[in-house]
Amino acid sequence: MRWYVVAIYVFLYLPIALIVVFSFNAGRYAMDWQGFSTEWYFKAFANPFAMKALRTSLVVALWTAVLATMLGTLAALGLERMQGWPRRAFDALIYVAIMVPGVVIGIATLIAFVTVFDAVNPFLAGLFGDAAPQLAMGLPTIIGAHVLFNLAVVILIVRARFAGLDRSLIEASEDLYATPFGTFRQVVLPMIFPAILASFLLSFTFSFEDFIIAFFVSGPDSTLPIYIFSSIRRGITPEVNAIGTVVLAASLSLLVIAQFLLRDRNARRPAPDKAA
Amino acid sequence: MSDDTRQISRKQFVEELLRYRRGSVSRRHFLGITGLGLATAILGQAVPGLRPRPAFAQDLGDTLNFTTWPNYFDQANLDQFTKDTGVNINVAVFGSNEEMLAKLQAGGTGWDVLVPTNYTISTYKSLDLIEALELAQIPNFIESDHDTRFIGEAKIDGAIYAVPKNWGTTGYVVNTAKVEGEMTTWKQFWDRTRDDLSGLVMVHDYQLTTIGNALKYFGYSFNSIDPGELAEAEKLLIEAKPHLFAINSDYQPAMRAGDAVMSVAWTGDASQLKRDIPEMHYVLGKEGGEIWTDFYAIPKGAQNRPAAYAFINFMLDPAVNAKEVKAHGYPSTDKRTSALLPQEVLSDPILYPAQELLSALEFGAAATLTDPNRAELMARFKSA
Amino acid sequence: MRQGRRTGTTALLVGPAAAFFLLLLVLPLAVVVIYSFGERGAAGGYSPAFTFDNYLSLATRGQAFLNTLLLAPLGTLLCALVAFPLAYFLAVKTSPRWRTMLLVLIIVPFWASQLLRIYAWLLILGNRGIPSLLDLLGMDGVRLINTRFAVLLGMVYGYLPLMVFPIYVSLEKLDKRLLEASADLGAGAWGTFRQVTLPMSIAGVATGSLLVFILLMGEFIIPALLGGGKVFFIGNALVDLFLQSRNWPFGAAIAVSMVAIMLATIALYMRFMLGRSGLRQQALV
Repeated sequence: MRWYVVAIYVFLYLPIALIVVFSFNAGRYAMDWQGFSTEWYFKAFANPFAMKALRTSLVVALWTAVLATMLGTLAALGLERMQGWPRRAFDALIYVAIMVPGVVIGIATLIAFVTVFDAVNPFLAGLFGDAAPQLAMGLPTIIGAHVLFNLAVVILIVRARFAGLDRSLIEASEDLYATPFGTFRQVVLPMIFPAILASFLLSFTFSFEDFIIAFFVSGPDSTLPIYIFSSIRRGITPEVNAIGTVVLAASLSLLVIAQFLLRDRNARRPAPDKAA
Repeated sequence: MSDDTRQISRKQFVEELLRYRRGSVSRRHFLGITGLGLATAILGQAVPGLRPRPAFAQDLGDTLNFTTWPNYFDQANLDQFTKDTGVNINVAVFGSNEEMLAKLQAGGTGWDVLVPTNYTISTYKSLDLIEALELAQIPNFIESDHDTRFIGEAKIDGAIYAVPKNWGTTGYVVNTAKVEGEMTTWKQFWDRTRDDLSGLVMVHDYQLTTIGNALKYFGYSFNSIDPGELAEAEKLLIEAKPHLFAINSDYQPAMRAGDAVMSVAWTGDASQLKRDIPEMHYVLGKEGGEIWTDFYAIPKGAQNRPAAYAFINFMLDPAVNAKEVKAHGYPSTDKRTSALLPQEVLSDPILYPAQELLSALEFGAAATLTDPNRAELMARFKSA
Repeated sequence: MRQGRRTGTTALLVGPAAAFFLLLLVLPLAVVVIYSFGERGAAGGYSPAFTFDNYLSLATRGQAFLNTLLLAPLGTLLCALVAFPLAYFLAVKTSPRWRTMLLVLIIVPFWASQLLRIYAWLLILGNRGIPSLLDLLGMDGVRLINTRFAVLLGMVYGYLPLMVFPIYVSLEKLDKRLLEASADLGAGAWGTFRQVTLPMSIAGVATGSLLVFILLMGEFIIPALLGGGKVFFIGNALVDLFLQSRNWPFGAAIAVSMVAIMLATIALYMRFMLGRSGLRQQALV
């Protein structure tokens, strides 16, 4: 059993090890070791397009995570108060949103955006003449499609947490004449906070890693996965490995920090328990 | 990235961390200062007004989005252009003209310069996707220095819509270290694919050459859109498919690694492969095949037009163009460029094939690009 | 009065999400349905019409449907089979001290670009990777890349973490005392597993399978990179129709069929796997 588990971890990490090792390759081809060098890291950081793609991905993922978490949490709370057909219709929408594959979301939103833009742009041009603003694919279209992709997941996560809540606490709060907002802030929010945090991280990760939806609706703005896809076609160099390694290292350090913070909290918590 | 993390200095961070550990600050406060600081900094990047604008070099802007084919330029030339003008070049690589057309039709590509092949230009023009070039901005293009055979399709109603990058042929490359016997025809290509070379052959992900060279097996025109002839080509392709290593227009990596030993290939890829691996042999099928010209063109509504013109003009400078030819191994259409090339390039049979092989070749026809049957045939072949 | 305000608040809470669903899901899907009855434009794209031709020619993509409907369930099954022992080990056999770290190590690969990781497999499975090692061992001419095997391996690799987590969560809830009780009552290891562990973890397996299955059905990048254009999924056929042959109406028809197949399969799956045991709610969240 132990060996099985070791084998799985080797399976999971073999490709990652390759990515990291070859980011230090002095040669320009993948899998053709020419000696150790860190030059590709400098090249990656000096490459304005790689950095712009990274920044675009971060911006898109953050907006997506913020919007999807906010809208999803609100909707989950609202759904609790809904009954009858509106509730059933909304539930159906959630499941459809989850089951429609990313590639279809990409295509469907592309078609819809193109159709709407083609209809609106001549109208804008007629209205404002040559200086008319033109609607086009770009960051907002990626963010929109990503939020859609994550919204349903967020609603399910938050709702699951909310369903497990002790309702008597809310009633108690209302009995004690707390305003609805006060109840929300002091009772509900702290209890669903883990779900909100999980939703945020999940949306961020999905958005940051998404290739297929962005591939259709990104317009001229490359996200990091699109940049990497393009590099694979261009003939991959260790520069891309270097970027991948940096992203990995950054997430790992965030993880270590988070772990450190959590451990700190856990380490302090048992003390009062024992005292009690 | 570094700008974003500077929102809170390391010293401050450590202080906050210590305060937090001492318990004098809530976790929420801590996250608010550290995490949210980062978050707002990054969100702020999305708001155009808040972003610091880099200083413009001349009036060319700082960016050029250049869309081209695999292994198709000398990086040193691009670097030189960036050094001279301050314009950074973002290179996107595509697998086929069909894919470029699809992207342009969907709109919002953000491209400034693209590299269309001769047979696509009339369609781009009629769909209003590329602009008529202002030749005054490309003084390095002198029409009379180019063979009319190569540049005819760029001229529509007296206007020039594209200027030539280079010409080339489509044949196939064979690794003679692993393939026995002399290969000279498309018939051999397809027969041996289904025989002793099974699993080791690649074809382009591209209707024109893949269908065209299958048509050549039967001696039909490379450009045929005759349903009966296409049906025969489809039968051959579907039969050959299980014997292919891959369907991919970027075949150099697989040929270099030895995953594939034979592949449909363009002139330049063949010369680049032969440069490193002498056993790589380029074959133009005796039955014929494709001869083509690739051009530089500017899409309608390009965001960086001045940079696009400057870039095209730079690349057509004979000295720069000669360096390009030496790097990518495709022959130039420009007399002045050819005059700068060393004899061993000019006598290279890969770049300049024998006349009897050349005369059998056909330029791709515009009809093949938009013909729905060829497009659907290719799609069926791929999903078979 | 109070009721009215309550309804208003609810509408405010649900409104933005509903607007998102309507504008970016319902509307686009409706447009896709309309397009699926249209014709290919002269130079590609869409031209309005009303025809069933697109649906009638679905059979020309039969192999892509077959590949997807074969490899997606198979990949899901393999994922579950590989993930279960790992999740079991983590939940039951690992000391808490190591558990967190081992769990985190399962998610970490997700943060190294999926594209790069799949590309790395291209190198591992390519001629200079594993086949050259096998060559040294005397196994000549083994081909791994651009085969269904490579695609399947990539799928299991890519989605394993998504399967491990739900199973782990369901096993972690398992009360260890139940296992002891089962052993005390004379059940063998296999009996305990079959009678206690497996039923307790069904919800996790079901959730993980659903998640992985949905993602695999729409997969594009793994067949594209590890299949070399030879192992085509519906996702690849779709991308091809939109980004190469520019036949939007046919692509729309394939997209509609794909969604229909997914909804039908999942409905069937839920009824079959979960209907009886009343686990539906649990499994979905």
